[in-house]
Amino acid sequence: MRVARVRWWKAALLTLAIASLALIVVACGGNDSSDEATPADGTATTAGGLATNIGKDDRAQITGAGATFPAPIYQAWFDDYNKKVAKGVQVNYQSIGSGGGIQQFTEKTVDFGASDAPMSDAELAKATDAVHIPMVLGSVVLTYNVSGVNTPLKFDGDTIAKIYMGTIKKWNDPAIAALNSGMKLPDADIQVVYRSDGSGTTFVWTDYLSSVSADWKSKVGTSKNPSWPVGQGGKGNEGVTTAVKQTPNAIGYVELNYAIANKLAFADIKNKAGKFITPSIDATSAAAAGVTIPDDYRVSIVNASGEGAYPIASFTYLLVHKDTQSCDKQKPLVNMLWWVFHDKNANETAKSLNYAPLPATLQPKVDATLKTLTCNGQPILPKG
Amino acid sequence: MTSIVEASDMRRRRRHFIDRTMTGVMVGAAVVGVIPLVLILFYLLKEGIPGLSLSLFTEDPNRPGLPGGGVRNSIVGSAIMVTVATLIGVPIAVGCGIFLSEFGQNRLGTVLRFLVDVLAGIPSITIGLFIYGLMVVTRGEFTGFAGGLALSILFLPIVARITEEMMLLVPRSLREASLALGAPSWMTTLRVVVPTALPGIATGVMLALSRIAGEAAPLLFTALGNQFFSTDLFHAMDALPLRIFVYAVGPYDYWHDQAWAMSLILVTFILVVSLIVRAVIGTRVTVRS
Repeated sequence: MRVARVRWWKAALLTLAIASLALIVVACGGNDSSDEATPADGTATTAGGLATNIGKDDRAQITGAGATFPAPIYQAWFDDYNKKVAKGVQVNYQSIGSGGGIQQFTEKTVDFGASDAPMSDAELAKATDAVHIPMVLGSVVLTYNVSGVNTPLKFDGDTIAKIYMGTIKKWNDPAIAALNSGMKLPDADIQVVYRSDGSGTTFVWTDYLSSVSADWKSKVGTSKNPSWPVGQGGKGNEGVTTAVKQTPNAIGYVELNYAIANKLAFADIKNKAGKFITPSIDATSAAAAGVTIPDDYRVSIVNASGEGAYPIASFTYLLVHKDTQSCDKQKPLVNMLWWVFHDKNANETAKSLNYAPLPATLQPKVDATLKTLTCNGQPILPKG
Repeated sequence: MTSIVEASDMRRRRRHFIDRTMTGVMVGAAVVGVIPLVLILFYLLKEGIPGLSLSLFTEDPNRPGLPGGGVRNSIVGSAIMVTVATLIGVPIAVGCGIFLSEFGQNRLGTVLRFLVDVLAGIPSITIGLFIYGLMVVTRGEFTGFAGGLALSILFLPIVARITEEMMLLVPRSLREASLALGAPSWMTTLRVVVPTALPGIATGVMLALSRIAGEAAPLLFTALGNQFFSTDLFHAMDALPLRIFVYAVGPYDYWHDQAWAMSLILVTFILVVSLIVRAVIGTRVTVRS
């Protein structure tokens, strides 16, 4: 009896072991499918005097981490690059937040970082060789939950600042009514919602409010995590969305791509030129076209002056080292960045995921920056 | 006469009333306690089954925005890191448990027992940060091995204490019989006590396995995650809980479906392990009686 029983549990353990082994074998067996992806579909075209697929024979496992907002487009690009151009290059990107991206980049635990907000002077002092590469543009939209409103509401910066300061309290306030003539807005309190976690989205939002309202600038300021005068918090885009959806008469802010993917209602915002702009990918790209960009790209593009520019927009950056001692990772990384900016499908990929590509006018400047990157003191991309 | 009968009858009815009321309250408490589990399982099945498919196990994630694909990299990564944790954790934890039960009836044993209990109470995110400082910052790379190491620290106190408990359950008479036959103390421990307690120790190992398999916090700053399939222990590695975390808050609907399906896979794994544990415990009780 005893022997039989002991065997029984041993058999159970053995079964578990075999089952897990089988799972691994089955899982590994599927490896072939990903290798059959079609090779370079016309990626060998030249751009700026260089083939776009100059890194096709590279081999490297590269790790990057940072901002959450651009994670889907980065992963999409890096995955396409692995499947269509350079099979030996796996660029792994994980979203840990902009602050985390700068931190890990400075600690050199990752090969590149990513952040929605540019590094501050204090942060740059700890990572003096950091180079900002603007990758795409993001914008922040105002979303709301007001019953009986079918056409998009219209807002200007001053009104939004006053709502978030708590000086405009009701939906039927004259300031809102003046912007939305002909619409019936309820005599109800505005329920303000903000992001409770420190985020690049909040940075852009408060940056915009600071640029349009002196009151906001002096009392609250620009920050990833300010002390909010009024309102309730929600964690992440999804937390803000849920809070706005569940609270009648609520108002909140989320990223444009999140709002489009989740079919949220969002407001038209009055830009510097006096036009009401419906948030869109093209209007976001336009914001970068109307601003003089410094060589390190650390610039705010909120409240940009172009006619069609959406006013609440920002760059999102990749952070790379200007020079590294080893070429093992820097070279494949730079080759891949060249592909991202010159492959004819890369911009379409960005648009299909609701990210705004850089305006074409900015491209030569980014090319020049990529050509300044070196490993072991040697330039990676040929000059000219 | 009748009044005495009536009085005792009333007292009896009161006792019955209180008895039934309290039983009802206890049953109610038990039901309320089980409701969350039932609801979670029901909700998991409802949300998780639509996302389940064979490709979930055999394919790697598609690029974002392209529905389909699988989480093979996460399943294999989890399996590898849990295996590493077990390989590191079992010898140390079982050794620690043997010491505590057989040779730990002294001051050193008391201190060690206390420390193991403290270790069991440390939040898993703290353990992740500790390994991050110890291995990731110094080596300059997030690695699957660091993830496995963090999990092994979670694993250690659970198995150590269960090993101790199980070995203390071995009857004293068995040890005395072995010693009386001339076996030295070490042989008694290794050849008599440990084999007798082995089903119990195996139970502890499996309980700890199901505990660490679902942990995301210690992996965030150690294994990091990886959207590519990688079995390289010295590179970033993916894990099911990490991918659930990312997909659950992501912008795409099919990510949400896959997050539910992955949760279902994890819970099924834990449920299966629990059932095996029950079977093993049942065995142990029969052996002893």
